[in-house]
Amino acid sequence: MNALEISHLHYRYHDGTEALRGVSFRVLPGECIALLGPNGSGKSTLLLHLNGLLPENPSGDGAVKIFGTPLAAANLAAIRRQVGLVFQDPDDQLFCPTVAEDVAFGPQQLGLGAPAEIAARVKKSLAQVGLAGFEARATHHLSHGEKRRACLAGVLACEPKLLVLDEPTSDLDPRGRREFKAMLRTLPATKLIATHDLELAVELCARTIILDHGEIIADGRTVELLADEKLMLAHGLERPHILHHLHPH
Amino acid sequence: MNRHWHNHAPSPTDSWVRRLPATWKLGVTLTLILVTVLAPPAGWLPWFVTMFLFLLVIIAASGISLWFLLQRLLLLLPFVLGVVVVNALAPTGRANWLAIALKSSLCLLTVMLTANTTPFSELVRALQTLRVPALLITTITLMHRYLFVLRDEAERMRRARASRTFTPGRRFQWQALSSVIGQLFVRASERAERIYDAMCARGWKSR
Amino acid sequence: MHIPDGFLDGKTAAVAGVISCAGVGLALRQVRRELPPRKVPLLGLSAAFLFAAQMVNFPVAGGTSGHLVGGALVAALLGPGAAVVVVTTVLIVQCFLFQDGGVLALGANVFNMAIVNSVAGFVIFKTMRRVVPGKRGRVAAMAFAGWCATVLAAICCAGQLAWSGTIAWSAAFPAMTLVHMLIGLGEGVISALVLLAVERARPDLVAAGPHAAGGQRGGEFLGYGLLAALGVALFVAPFACAWPDGLDAVAEKLGFAHKALAPLVTAPAADYRMPGIHWALGATAVAGAIGTLVVFTGSLLLGRWLVPSSSHHESPLAQPRA
Repeated sequence: MNALEISHLHYRYHDGTEALRGVSFRVLPGECIALLGPNGSGKSTLLLHLNGLLPENPSGDGAVKIFGTPLAAANLAAIRRQVGLVFQDPDDQLFCPTVAEDVAFGPQQLGLGAPAEIAARVKKSLAQVGLAGFEARATHHLSHGEKRRACLAGVLACEPKLLVLDEPTSDLDPRGRREFKAMLRTLPATKLIATHDLELAVELCARTIILDHGEIIADGRTVELLADEKLMLAHGLERPHILHHLHPH
Repeated sequence: MNRHWHNHAPSPTDSWVRRLPATWKLGVTLTLILVTVLAPPAGWLPWFVTMFLFLLVIIAASGISLWFLLQRLLLLLPFVLGVVVVNALAPTGRANWLAIALKSSLCLLTVMLTANTTPFSELVRALQTLRVPALLITTITLMHRYLFVLRDEAERMRRARASRTFTPGRRFQWQALSSVIGQLFVRASERAERIYDAMCARGWKSR
Repeated sequence: MHIPDGFLDGKTAAVAGVISCAGVGLALRQVRRELPPRKVPLLGLSAAFLFAAQMVNFPVAGGTSGHLVGGALVAALLGPGAAVVVVTTVLIVQCFLFQDGGVLALGANVFNMAIVNSVAGFVIFKTMRRVVPGKRGRVAAMAFAGWCATVLAAICCAGQLAWSGTIAWSAAFPAMTLVHMLIGLGEGVISALVLLAVERARPDLVAAGPHAAGGQRGGEFLGYGLLAALGVALFVAPFACAWPDGLDAVAEKLGFAHKALAPLVTAPAADYRMPGIHWALGATAVAGAIGTLVVFTGSLLLGRWLVPSSSHHESPLAQPRA
C-alpha cells in the first residue's frame, strides 16, 4: 500500500488562478522525498491538501489517498492522526502559551489517552527534538530554532505515519540547520519535505519531485535531478554546490 | 499605555509568593481591593496603615524591586492631581483627595504584586476556574500569545516605512502610520486563518 | 480613560460591573452563534492587533502625540458583538498585565470603552453609511463614528466619576467632554485612514464585516444595545437635569429670549447654584451640539478628500482590473 497517492489533483484559488494542474505521484512507506520548486509553484497549496485543509469541502473523490483511505470530510480526524503537517511559520503553529500545552494539544484533541499518558508523550516528543525540560517555557520566549523544534515535537506527539514539512530549515542559522537535519534523519516516519534548502534535499532525500506552475516537472532520484543544471535553472532552482563534492559510491 | 510597556518587570523570580496558587492570589487581591475601596471614612487610616505594612512584607518576600513599584505608582499622579485641581475649583464636598490617593496607591500595589509574582498563563487558568466563559479565555490566551509577535511586526513595518519617508510633515506621517496599522490588521487576519488551519491540522474540532 | 481603582465608589463600580457582565455575556453569546469557527482565532488576534496598534504614536503638536483607541474601528471591521469581546479582552490584559486601569474599575472601563464605544460606533457607522453611500460614505461614517464613540465614552466616564463623588459633574462633564472632543478628532481621522488602508489591501475583509447584505442579527445586539443605553441613562441622566438650567444661563448671557426656554426648564438640582457652573455646563452642551455638526460635516469632507471620485462608486467586491 502506498503511504500517499495523489491522482490528478486540481485546485483553483478564489480569484480563478490555477494553483495545481493535475498533480499525480505516489509515495511508498518509509521514503523521504524532497518537494522543490520556485516560489509560487504551488508547493504549500499541495501540502495543505495532504491533511484535508484544502479543498474547503473534501469530496472523497479519491484524488488524495492516505495509506489507502481516500480523503473525505467524514474521515478528516483519522487522516489528521496519520498525517503530521509542520507549517512554514512556527508562530502560526505554536498558539499555546507554554511548550507543554502546545505539544499536548494534538494528543488531547485527538483523544489519545489520559493526562498522565499525554504528559509522557509530551516528554518523549520533546526529548526526540532535543528540547527536554522545555515544558514550562513560554512559547513567545523561544528562539527561532527552538520554535521550529517545538512545532515538530507538537506534531510528533501524535505519532503520525506520514510527516509533511513546509520549509523546515528556512531562517535557521547553519548550526540550527545541521541539528534539525540530524534530527530529521532519526525519524522513522515517511517524510515529504517542501524546501528551498537544496543541501537538505541531497543529504536526506533519496527522491525529489520538482513542481512548477502547479505541475510536476520531474520526479526521480535526487542526485540525478539536481545535477541536471539545465533543468534546475529552467525552474527557478540551481545545481547545488554540494554535488560537486559528492562522489558516487 | 505606551509608557508602561518598558516598565514591565522581568519574569517573576522564584519566591514562596510566586509559588502560591494563582486562584488564591487573585481572590486575596480582589478582597483587599474591595475592602480598601469600601473602607468607610472613619476607619480608613488604620486600615491603610495595616494594609501598607502587609504589602511591605509581601514585597520583601517576593523580591520585587521597590524602586520599580514606586515608579509605577508615580503614574497615578496625574489622575490624583486632576482630582485635586478639579475639586479645588468645583468642590463636591464628598471627595477626600488624600483618601483617593492612598486608596488607589494601595490597590495598584496589590495588583502589581500579584501580576509580578504570577505567570500570566496561571492567572488565565485562575480566571477559567472562576467560570469565565471559554470563548473569552481563548481570546485572552491568543491575545497574550500574539501580543509580542504583532508588536514586533508593527515596529518592523514602522521602521521600514520611516526609512523610506523623506517628506516631513504630519500629513504624510499620519498616512504612513495608518497604513502600517491597516497592514497590521490584514496580516493579523491572515495569521488568524493560518492558526485556524494549524489548530485543525492537529485535530481541533470546531464546536 | 482607564479609571484606576479608588476613583470610583462601591455602588458605581458594582452597577457598572453588573451591566458590563451582562453586556459582555450577551456579546459572547452573539459571537458564539454568528462567528464561523474559522474566525475564532481572529478575535484573539484582533485583540493583539488593537493593543499593538495603540502603541503607534501619531505626532500631534509640539512633542505631544496621540494614538488610536479603536473600539469603533473594530466594530466596523468585525461587528459590534466581536468588538465588545475584543476590547474587553484588551482591557482585561491591560489591567492584569500592565495594571492599566483598576480591577474593580474594570466594570466601568469595560462599559465605557468596550460596550458604549463599540455599540455607539457601530450604530453611527451603519446609520451614516445608509445616509451617505459609496466608499466616501464609508470613510466619512468611520470618521464620524470614531469621534462620537470617543465623546460618548468620555461622557459616561464623567458620569461615573460624578456619581462616585470623586469629581463634581459640573467639572467632570465639561472637562472630559471638551478634551475628548479634541482627542476624538484624532481617533476619527485615524480610524478612517486605517479602514481605507484595509480596504485597499483586502476589500473582502471590510465587505465581510457587519455591513454585508443579509445576515440575521439576533436579540443579543438589542440586549447589549439596551444595556448600553441603560448605563448611559444611569450615569448621565441624574445630572442632565441641570442642563436646561445651564442652557438657560447661556441663553441669558448671549441675550436670547431665555423666556422661550422656560417651558423646557425643569427644577434645578440643589447643588448647582453657582452661575459659573451653570455657564460651564450649558456652554459644554452647546459646544457639544455645534461640535457634532462640525465634525459631521468635516467627516463628509474627509471622505471627499481621501477618496478620489474615480473610485468612489466602485463596489468593494469589484475584481481588481487585470
